[in-house]
Formats: sequence, structure tokens, C-alpha cells
Amino acid sequence: MKNFFIFMATMFAFATLAADNAPLQPVADPQPILQDLQRKMSSLGSVYFELTQERHLKLFTDPLISEGFMLIERPDQIRWETTAPYQSILLGDKKSVAQFEFTDGKWEKLKLGFPQMLQRVMEQMSLMNQGKLDALTGDYTISVSTNNETILTLVPKDENARAVLASIEVKMAPDFSATREVVMNEPNGDSTRIIFHREKRDVKFPAGTFDQTKPLEIAAVKAAVDNAP
Amino acid sequence: MHRNLLFLSLLLAAGCATTPPPENLSRAAISFPADALIIQRAVLTAHGRQFTLNGYLALSKTGGKRLIITENFGAVLADILMKPGGKFFVMRSSQLFNPKWIQQYVVADMECIFGDAAQKNCAGKMLSPIHFVIERPGYTLDLQIVEIKTGAQSPQLFDETKRGSP
Repeated sequence: MKNFFIFMATMFAFATLAADNAPLQPVADPQPILQDLQRKMSSLGSVYFELTQERHLKLFTDPLISEGFMLIERPDQIRWETTAPYQSILLGDKKSVAQFEFTDGKWEKLKLGFPQMLQRVMEQMSLMNQGKLDALTGDYTISVSTNNETILTLVPKDENARAVLASIEVKMAPDFSATREVVMNEPNGDSTRIIFHREKRDVKFPAGTFDQTKPLEIAAVKAAVDNAP
Repeated sequence: MHRNLLFLSLLLAAGCATTPPPENLSRAAISFPADALIIQRAVLTAHGRQFTLNGYLALSKTGGKRLIITENFGAVLADILMKPGGKFFVMRSSQLFNPKWIQQYVVADMECIFGDAAQKNCAGKMLSPIHFVIERPGYTLDLQIVEIKTGAQSPQLFDETKRGSP
């Protein structure tokens, strides 16, 4: 379970980056690219994503699809919201996490079962969103391929972690200008694909966006982002 | 998609026509499509703590039922295949849902809500045609159907020899 949270955190962190499809060439020395990436990530104040998550289970003919948002604001605020087929909000900072479910026409705050684990995820997301890639190299072997896109491939160093996660692929534009896709491959052939449809960087989120008691409705957040210059 | 929406709308309309008190599941005869994928969202409350779960139930009129339960981010917590005769197989388990717990509770709850016949000892209530609550000593399961995709599912789902990796 811990390993799963680590890879989720990694996925979230890299979501501040960017993709395309073409033949790729492995990069012999990925360090300069990773340093450039780190520099660009660390300069971001906030980021807003609209996304589709596809869960590919080999047994099912079609992927299981959900829609949602991910919002990150420095130094440590994060909001992951699912809007379809159900509604759920996950909020976190370095001190605490909260989850809300929309049931029978109203939001209900849950008494979380594993708050420490979720908090760990949030902390890692925040750290990595600040460009602290060093935190990743301890857990993953990172390789880079490029052509008209850049793909970072992260393979867990720990054998137990590889039992649940074969690799993470982060697909980016060569200049890291926008995140397009993150794919998490599992050893049994199942995978999770997160497609970022829309991204806005350095936006000013309205008050209440990350409120862990009464979070602002996502429609209001979206309207504020849409109306921002 | 249109068919799915129509089906859900009919279910909702059936629930909205009147507002009866919650119906005991042992009396409720709930009808689902013979071949479908039913997507659920549930909150499991145990010892005062709550866990959110996603459920994916594949139904086949000839093959049986296959329920896959995942946590928020997609990791599989439990995977059960129930054959038409009632024999079941725990295809996958996890730390949160061990095989014994799955056999004792998950299968029973699955039968309560999605069983072919009304159950005699079902500790649940139907709040609406898409909203169910099961209360047992030790836990409460609040489950809502969020999407129904009608149509035949992959035959592999109903083959007990096709186990997924842990």
C-alpha cells in the first residue's frame, strides 16, 4: 500500500509537466534534462488541470473512465476532485487531509480511515511539485527518451514496489510547457492513464479552494480560473 | 450511453414517483439488466472510520457475476466471481479485504443487493432504486449505483481459471 501511495504521489508531482507521440530515442545522460525540468517545476506557483482518468483492467473490454480536476498551489496545497461518474473531493496540505463525498444532494466530510497515508501522499506531491526531483531518485530509476516529445520513465528500485507498479511514464512536450499524459503500468498488464485536457499555470485560486472544512464548489473555482487574465 | 442514461433515468423515475420509507432489502426485488456493467461508489464505515470504495460488477445471464472493488486511485482490493449456481471464487484479495472477510461479508452483501432472489437474512435497506445501506455489527456499507452500462461483458470475466495478478 505504501508503495502505491508513493507512485501516486510521483504521478501527481509529474502532472505539473507535459506529450506527443512519435519514435523515441533514449537519452544517454538524462541529468541535464532532469535539471531543466526541476528548474521549471520549481518556478511554478500554482497549476490547474482538467483531466480524464482511464483505468485499464485487462478483464474489461472498455476502460473505466472518470473525470475530474487537480489543483496544486505552493507551498503544499492540493485538491484532487472527481466529478463523474461520482463526486468526491480530496484535499491536503502538510498538516492534514480531508475527503468529501457528495451523497443525496449534499457534501459529507468523511472520517478518514488512513489519514496518515493520505497525508504522506500529499506531502510528497507538494515536495515534488516544488521541483525536488532528488526525492524521486532514491525510489526510482529514471530514464528519458526524446524526439518530438519527452517521456520520463520511472521504474521503482524496490522489488516490492515493482510487484505493484512496473513503471510510470510521464509524457511531456520537449519544453515541459504542459502536461499531457501520465501512464502507470502494472506488472499484470493493467494500467491507469491520466489525460490532461486543459492546464493553466500560475493561476490565483479563489478563497476556499483548499478549505478542508467547506471547500468552494469546483464550478466556482473553474469560473474564477476561466475569468483570470 | 443513451441506453445507460435511459435505464438510470427509469430507475430514478421509479424512485422519485413516490417517496416511500426505506425498504428492507429482504423484501425488495431489485431487477438489473441480465448483461451489464454496474459501477458503484460506496462508503464503508468501520470502527468510526470511513473508506471510499469503487465497485465494478459485471453481470452475465449465463456466466454469473464478477465484482471488482478498488480504492480511490484504482488499486484492486477484492475480486469475486460468483457462478450462476451460487458457487463463488475469491479471485483477488488484499490487506484491507482478506479472503476470509471477503467470503464472510463481501459475498453476502453482494448477494443482498445484486442477488437473483430476495435474501432472507439481508441486513440492508434500499433508500432508493440506486442507493442501498447495509448495516452489520462492525460496519456499515453505504452504496450507490452511479452508472449502468448494458451489454454483454467479456467471457473471461466469468472464467474462474482467469485469475488476475495480485
